[in-house]
This record gives sequence, C-alpha cells and structure tokens, in this order.
Amino acid sequence: MKKLNRKIPPPVHGVQNISVPPPAVHHLDNGIQVVETRMGTQPVLKLEICFRAGRAAEHKNTVAYAATRLLRDGTTTLNSKEIAEILDFYAGTLGTHPGWDTSAVSLFCLTKHFEALIPVVADMILNPVYPQHELQTFIDKNIRELQVDLTQSDTIAYRKLTELLFGEKMPYGYSSVAEDYKALTVNDLKRFHQEQLTADNCVIFIGGAVNEAILKLLNQYLGQHKTKRIPYQNVLCTETHPKTSVHLKNETGLQTSIRIGRRFGSKLNPDYAGASVVNLILGGYFGSRLMKNIREAKGYTYNISSSIDFMQHDGYWYIGTEVGTKFAAKTLEEIYKEMQLLQTELVDAAELEMVRNYCLGNMLNMIDGAFAVMDAVKPFFLEDLQDDVLQKLVDTIRHITIRNEKKY
Amino acid sequence: MIEYQKFILKNGLRVLVHVDTSTPTAAFNLLYDVGSRDESPDKTGFAHLFEHLMFGGSKHIKDFDTHIQRAGGENNAFTNSDMTNFYMTMPAQNLETAFWMESDRMLALTIHKKALNTQRKVVVEEFKETTLDEPYGDIWHHLGEMAFSTHPYRYPTIGKEPAHIEQATLEDVKDFYKRFYTPNNAILVIAGNVTFENVRFLAEKWFGEIPAGEKYIRNLPQEPPQTAQKRKILKQAIPVPAIYMAFHAPARLAADYHATDMLTDVLSTGSSSRLYRRLLKEQRVFTEIDCYQTGTADAGLLVVEGKPAEGVSLEKAEAAIWVELDLLKTELVQSVELQKFKHKLESQQTFGDIGALNKAMNLAYFEWLGNADWINNEIDAYLKIEALDIQMVAQKYLHEWNCSVLYYLPEKVLE
Repeated sequence: MKKLNRKIPPPVHGVQNISVPPPAVHHLDNGIQVVETRMGTQPVLKLEICFRAGRAAEHKNTVAYAATRLLRDGTTTLNSKEIAEILDFYAGTLGTHPGWDTSAVSLFCLTKHFEALIPVVADMILNPVYPQHELQTFIDKNIRELQVDLTQSDTIAYRKLTELLFGEKMPYGYSSVAEDYKALTVNDLKRFHQEQLTADNCVIFIGGAVNEAILKLLNQYLGQHKTKRIPYQNVLCTETHPKTSVHLKNETGLQTSIRIGRRFGSKLNPDYAGASVVNLILGGYFGSRLMKNIREAKGYTYNISSSIDFMQHDGYWYIGTEVGTKFAAKTLEEIYKEMQLLQTELVDAAELEMVRNYCLGNMLNMIDGAFAVMDAVKPFFLEDLQDDVLQKLVDTIRHITIRNEKKY
Repeated sequence: MIEYQKFILKNGLRVLVHVDTSTPTAAFNLLYDVGSRDESPDKTGFAHLFEHLMFGGSKHIKDFDTHIQRAGGENNAFTNSDMTNFYMTMPAQNLETAFWMESDRMLALTIHKKALNTQRKVVVEEFKETTLDEPYGDIWHHLGEMAFSTHPYRYPTIGKEPAHIEQATLEDVKDFYKRFYTPNNAILVIAGNVTFENVRFLAEKWFGEIPAGEKYIRNLPQEPPQTAQKRKILKQAIPVPAIYMAFHAPARLAADYHATDMLTDVLSTGSSSRLYRRLLKEQRVFTEIDCYQTGTADAGLLVVEGKPAEGVSLEKAEAAIWVELDLLKTELVQSVELQKFKHKLESQQTFGDIGALNKAMNLAYFEWLGNADWINNEIDAYLKIEALDIQMVAQKYLHEWNCSVLYYLPEKVLE
C-alpha cells in the first residue's frame, strides 16, 4: 500500500449556493399571517406567535419584558399553577421572548399533543390577567437577579456601552434598574397587552410536522379575535457620545471587561453584508485576528470577539473581552492595532478564502432542519426586509473582493 | 430511533456511523476516555489544560483551526470529570478534512514550550472568568472538598488552584498524551450526510496506521460512605445569600440512577414541579431554586440549590427544603407526576433525534457509557419506575448524614 502523505490536505469543496426553502404563507380568518415551514421526519412542532412590538413600543421602562414574561401566569379561566400543570403534563416547552422590536411566545411539542396545548397557549395570548401577586413575585425575582448581575464587570460594561450609544433614557439604550421594576403596575402590563399584543400586529410561525388539522386548530383558537394596536410614538435613540472612554473600577481586580463599540445602523445599511465579513475577519470566529493575536499568541484572555447586533431600526458593532487586569492596557493597544491594520492593509487572499468558506459552511446550518429554516425566514416577515437581503448576503460573501475598509 | 453501524479498527479505535441524508452537513465527534478524575491530586486541572494544547498544531498540520475553517467547518471541545470530547461540523463533502486533522493530532501532536506557556495563561484567565471573578463561581471547589474526602471528584475540572496549571511541565504533557490519547482509548462517531462505506474507508486510511497504546487501567480511590453531616458558611463579596445542599447519589450505571433522576424531576423540572411551585411561587421562600444530580461515571452528587427571597434567612430556606425532601420519604408521588415525567421523556427522546452534532455526541456518550444502543432503549429503564421506587431512593439518599450543606453569606449587608 502506498504510504500516506499527511502533509497534503484533502481537497476542499466550496459551498455552491444556499437556498432557503420558501415557506408557505396562509392567513387566519382575522387576517393573521401564518408562515409555515413543513419539514423533517420527526413528529415534532414549533409554534411561535410574534408581535411587532417590543422595548421600542413601551410606555414605561421594562413593561414589554414584564408583560411578555407574565403571559404564562394567569388568564381569565386558568391560574399560573393550572397553566404550568397542563404544559408540563403534555411536555410542551413554552418560551416567552421579549425583544427590542418584537415580543413572542414559543411552544415546542410533539405533534400529537398540539391539540391539548393550543387552547392554553391561545388563552394566554388573548386573556392574560396579570395577577398582582404574580407581578410581585416577578419583581422580587428580577431585582434579586439584577443584584447578582451588577456585581459582574461584563454586565456593567455592556450596560454602559448601550447607554452611551443609544441614550440612557431611550428604548434601545436604557439599562433596567430596580426602580423600573418596582414602578410596574398590573394596569401597565394590561395596557401594553391591549395596545400592542394585538391581532393586527401579529405573525405566527409554525414548523416541523405540520398538517391540515394543526392549521385548522390555529384558526379556531387564534383566528377569531380582531384586536387593533395603538401605534407608539417613541423616539428610539438620541445623539450618541462618540469617542467617549469610560473606566469603571472593578472591585475584585482579577479581570477587566473591555467593550468598544459604535452605532452601525440597521440591516438596511448598504454596508451590511460587507461589514459582516469584515467583522468575521476581525473577531467573528475562532480563527479571527483578535483571537489569534490576543488569545492564541499572547494569552491575555480566554475569549475575545467582535459582533454586530441589530435591532429593527438600528444596530451596533462592538468588540468585547474579559482580560487579566494587568493585560488591560496592552489588550487595548492590540485591539486598536488590529482595527487599524484592517483599515490600511489589504486582507490577503488566503485569509479571505478561509473566511468565505467558513462563513458559507456555517450558513448551511441555517437550512439544517425546519426550526433553523423558521429562524432564517423570520426577519423577512417581521422587519419589512426585502426578500433578497439574504441572497445579497450570500452573494456578497461569495464574491467579496479585497479592498480597504476605512469607513468604520 | 437512531440507527447506526459500528466497526473497530485493529488498533482498537471504535467507530460509529449514523447516516442522515436530510442535512447538508456532517458531524465528527471524537471522545477520549479521560477526564479530571484521572489526574493526580497535586496536578489538578491538567486534563482540561491538555485539551487546549490539542489545538496547538501537530506534526503535519501547523495551524489547526485554519484548515477546518477553510473547509467551511467549525470545531471545539470540552472536558469534564469523566471525559474529553472533540467535535467538528462541516459541509458533508469536506468530511475528509476532519479525518486528516483529527488523526494527525492523535498520531503526532506537536508538544512545545511556547504553546504550553500561552495556554497556561489562557486557562488561568478562564479560571478567573468562570470561577474566581464569578459570584458563587467557586461552589464546586467547596462542595467537592466537603463531599469527597478520597475520590478525585474532590477537585473540579478547572483545577484546585491556578498554581497547579501554572506549574504544568512539558514532561507532564508528554506523559499524559502517551497515556490517554491513544486509538484504543477513544470513540469516533460520524453523523450526517455520509455513507458507511466512505467513513469506513476514511477511518482505515487516516487512523488505521496509528499504533495502539498501552491499555489504561483505571484504579481510582473510591469514596467511603459519609456518616455525618458537613456544614460550612462562606462570607464573600456576593450580593445575595445562597444555599447548596449536596447528597451522595448513585453512579450513572447504578441501579438507582433512573429513579433518582425522576426524583429530581419531580422536585424541580418544569414550572409545575414541587420546589418551584411550592417554595418559589406559593410560599415565596426562594427567588431561585433547582435540584439535579451530576450523573457521573463514579458515584456523584444530588444537589439542591437556591437563593432565598429578600428577608428570608438561610435557616428558614433550608428548613423549607427539608420539608419537601421528607415528604418524598413518607408519601408516594402522585401518578400524574409520574405520567408527566414519562411524557417528558418521550418528547426529549424525539427532540434529541434532531441535528447531526447532537446525535453524534449522544452516540459517543452512550458508547462510552457501555453500549450505544442505550441511546434508543434507555427510556425503557425509566418507564419501569414506579412511585415506590422513587420513595425508596428518597429514603436511601436524602438523609442529613449523607448531606453537605453550604451557606453563602454576603460580607456586608446590602443597604
């Protein structure tokens, strides 16, 4: 047998294209859009009921968060204990998802249990009562958790960054404090529910082993009410504080949290796709320049990364790491060095090829199964994005060429 | 139902293949049968440090991560008290890249001073981030020392102290590599859009020539039974008090394991579970509460942990937990609680069959445990459990003398 030559890597085949299977779109009797991803062989379902209203639509700090979290804690016919018993008995996993611009409730279950679970989920969405004692338990719990979080430097640094970028009193910028929770009343939660979690503001996603009976049940339980939202008038963010540098003392002194960021704008920013690739090169994956330099070459940190987080109407690009305190100054120096290098020197072809392949390979995960596809199509229905944004992103990654990137 | 095929190479490497053509990707999972329990007590944290060194390059592959990324894939690893597990995912057409890389570092890892120096620093930063700078982050250091006098579970995987990591030498690294990173001490699982024939061909091609190592015979000191309760109070710069109660519990393969698992579920899985419903929601004694068992290869722990509500003393919080534990000893759990658990198992099993990496990891885990078939039929062991079995394990394990109780108190009272 021929001796194996281990020096030569096996040939690598690029990912040709990534096409997301288009979902089927239906409408319930009351007009709610249902986006269906029927895929997979396992008898499982995921239901997600989304409302186009989150933090951006609040009339009071933290009310969107509380009103969404407490949907499961009592309706006109069931108390929180009864809801919990039914969900657990039929092994339904219920999630509540407060967000920047959306609020959502999700349910994972076996297809055969959907019929038993959907009446309860619909009841939570339509008829929550927000009992006073449940709100109080919620407030106590959140204040306790906040006390613990505020001892951690990464939390503190993150909060400070978003305050500086978006304004500390603004929906995208404020950090919740104990007083916010204490100020919440049952009427606040009811108001948010009545004004924002309405039929005309709702999109339903369903994926997995969907069948006609399931769609009929959805229409029966969620297709009959007709509620209208009251549009909110909030300004989402104010002038930011460019070039501000803030140092907060860390009491234990073992590690220092560093966050460096800037506003980027929403996914409609024409640089969205290009910046996504630059972000990867800088700090978006294990082989990124920041990881290679600051972790793998210098050992200053366990982890360093760069990412772009998007709200619907804005977004921010930031670098974050926890480093040994004695390495903090040197780390900052190296971060700026890497940023400057990207601005002044061309990315070499091999590195770009690696990032391209890595990124496209990773995007394959987006079409791996019904639930992944559901997540991939969601923004197109919730954020008024053009249908071709994803294709443009894929195309950009496939065809991006080397050029200077000085803009940011 | 997860179908798989298995073969064993001449050097002892076990290979399992699960074919799933519905995904465009493949998962490559290589498990080594070595964990922090195999360390000596003066060199703790070493198994995990070694895992980091496995990414430092090998004889024919200087830069490990570059190649998998160029192939559109990702890789990572974890270490726990019992095992070290390396995994990659990639577009299925690039599976061979994973074979090439993973076999090279099993055959000839580059062991050099610079990588060791850097990774010692990285791991010390990890130690700080996850343990020293994290509120309650040192819990396993304290619980381990209280509950285990003899068994190496006394020390958490990250290590007893940063100094042990800083003192690791190249000799230690070489010795560890030779002893544990052998084909006969490993299990390889491939899952995804692959064919059995191709995997068999690639396994022979890339792993076939690696010589078998000397068989490692594990002979760990076993923990003697605990006979009296242990208690400890820690005063630290934490904002909220917390309580941890640890009971010696059955090993993963012990007869009592499944009943004990159901017991922890009755107590704290789901928002209708007893501790959550009664102590957090109804009595409002806690703002957080949880109960679980560690399920380790050697006998592990069953832990109840919680943070009391504002104004509730830890003594009162502990008493409320004992009331619930004692109830399990004196009264049978209701049939609805059992039924609920059985529905949950069925659901977990069905959802667990989704995702190539998920399946690869689970197959490797069950093969390591003793038999990959258990991935499909362990549920039968659970379905046999009756209320009486749960009462029996409650009576057997949930004793004061089998328990270590730890209180965390804030150094200064919050205003």
